[in-house]
Amino acid sequence: MGESFIESLARPSEWTSTHLAGLVGLLLVVAPFAIGSYQTYLLTDALILGLFATGFNVLYGYTGLLSFGHAMFFAGAGYTLAVFMTDGVSALGLGAIFGGATPLVALAIAVVVGVLVAVILAVPVGFLSVRLEEIYFAMITLSFSMAVYTIILQDYGGVTNGSDGITVILSEADLFGIGVPLLSRTVYYFLVLAIVAPSMYLLWRIVRSPFGTVLTAIRENPERAAAIGIDVRRQRWASFVISAAFSGLAGAIYIPLHNVVAPGIAHWSFSAEPVIMTVLGGPYSFAGPILGAFVFRYLRWFVTQYPFFQAHWQLVFGTLVLVVLLFFKQGVAGALKYGRRYVEARSMGEPEGEP
Amino acid sequence: MVELPVVEILTGLSLGSRLFLVALGLSLIFGVLGVLNFAHGALYMVGAYVTISVVQSVVGNFWVAAVLAGVGVGLVGVAMEVGFIRRIYERDQLDQLILTFAFVLIISDLTRIVWGSQSYTLDPPASLNNTVQIAGASFLTYRLFVIVAGIVAMAAFWYVLQRTFVGSLIRATSSDRQMSQLLGTNVSRLYTGVFALGSVIAGIGGALAAPLQAVTPGVGDQVIISAFVVVVIGGLGSFTGAFIGAMAIGLIQSFGTMWVRGADLFLPFVAMIIVLIFRPEGLFGEEGQ
Repeated sequence: MGESFIESLARPSEWTSTHLAGLVGLLLVVAPFAIGSYQTYLLTDALILGLFATGFNVLYGYTGLLSFGHAMFFAGAGYTLAVFMTDGVSALGLGAIFGGATPLVALAIAVVVGVLVAVILAVPVGFLSVRLEEIYFAMITLSFSMAVYTIILQDYGGVTNGSDGITVILSEADLFGIGVPLLSRTVYYFLVLAIVAPSMYLLWRIVRSPFGTVLTAIRENPERAAAIGIDVRRQRWASFVISAAFSGLAGAIYIPLHNVVAPGIAHWSFSAEPVIMTVLGGPYSFAGPILGAFVFRYLRWFVTQYPFFQAHWQLVFGTLVLVVLLFFKQGVAGALKYGRRYVEARSMGEPEGEP
Repeated sequence: MVELPVVEILTGLSLGSRLFLVALGLSLIFGVLGVLNFAHGALYMVGAYVTISVVQSVVGNFWVAAVLAGVGVGLVGVAMEVGFIRRIYERDQLDQLILTFAFVLIISDLTRIVWGSQSYTLDPPASLNNTVQIAGASFLTYRLFVIVAGIVAMAAFWYVLQRTFVGSLIRATSSDRQMSQLLGTNVSRLYTGVFALGSVIAGIGGALAAPLQAVTPGVGDQVIISAFVVVVIGGLGSFTGAFIGAMAIGLIQSFGTMWVRGADLFLPFVAMIIVLIFRPEGLFGEEGQ
């Protein structure tokens, strides 16, 4: 690196992922000051869904296992957070210990406990599920998550409050005399950004690590991976648990944004959402699922302007998934990559590069 | 002597019979094409809606409606196979599953556009809309008819697959596509035919179910999950398995309500998990499938 970072910015064709990540990060920090309150909420939602889809894709795009049950981790952590915020805080007497900071501390603890619950659920479920492949893996994760869904819906022990769910309203935290209104969309946006950004970095490091390479090897050819000494089942299990942990994290921070947790987020149709986002964005690129999540969320917002499509957004997404799956296997990420290569090839005056 | 819970058994069997009609097509399509059709429940739902519309129209006859439902859904199936699914036989199974899932979204929303979101109910055909006394309990004749229809469908399928030329073509293609093609089978047409046949049965299944349940846009999503449970327990691609699995799930759901609240919803998934863990090929599936 003989030149400064700033100088290298001048030539977009040489931008690396570091440049892009920095630029996106900068935009995300500035964004809430430039856009309105509702747009901030939308951006927060897209970030959370992006984390969910990226977590899901560790298992799908990188390991080659399609889970149709990731809603159980999302909902498991979400419900844990809701129960902790409504009952746990007073039961543990956190208010007396942390004083004015209690709302923020409680939220932090609730998120951690939520992720823990997702992991505790994922360890046995993953152990049993990764013994299967392909359709059978999709079916067993589907049935585990539907079992979880029925338990939540039936409200055994009065924990989940049945089909009504649990309302979670964050209150204002007092940090050494400075009031922090957690309910404010801007404040919550930065909380989410502070969780999602390092999580995405962590996920990126995980899939770029030797472990990530092992996962890709398993996806490409499980028999060959086993032949060179990889414990396929164990690595898949690890991938499952990591994927579930990040899905749980997304579920935990999703609840306070929407102020409520209801059984719908445990249903299989919710498990299908990261599948849709990942297919739209492209499963074979790290940025694919998050791009897909943004497309998913913003398109859903955009169609609300047209009453017909607002009522029938499923038709819009069904058609999109169909088209992407048949004609653009690499999704939005693949299209961008292809577009960039095309522009580069044109600017260098060379014939079009291989896609 | 212990009194037999006749009502629960018959209710369970009639539920099982309806599930079987969905599971049969699902299992057939998977067994031959290798595609797990997520949209099969949506096809069943379209069958139920078409039946209701035809009965409420000038035609007004349930049996005509059921036939039209079968034909209509069969045509939808042909369009799906020829237009889309055919293009991705070479891709992996997960892509095929996601493609058929896209059809769940599309078909569900299209039915919502045509029939709205309200719930429809339908009376059983007049000739069967009475009760019979069985072991001291009265039972809707139409329910008995549905049980018989399930058994007849099973028998007819067994006969076609095991005893006819088309049946042997289907079995041959299912076990070795390339060899069957080399021997002169028009595999592409056979695939379309099998997909259409599976869709027709789903449509008729939906027609037969329409008088027994409220028809709403959620019906397809519900039934496909139950049908997945059935075919996985019975063994994907196995007809005996689909039949036994459907009846077992029907009985579990009918008896589960008596036991613990929610057990009827919960137990089928537990059964599916146990089967997948200990015998992933299903109770009646072939090893290594």
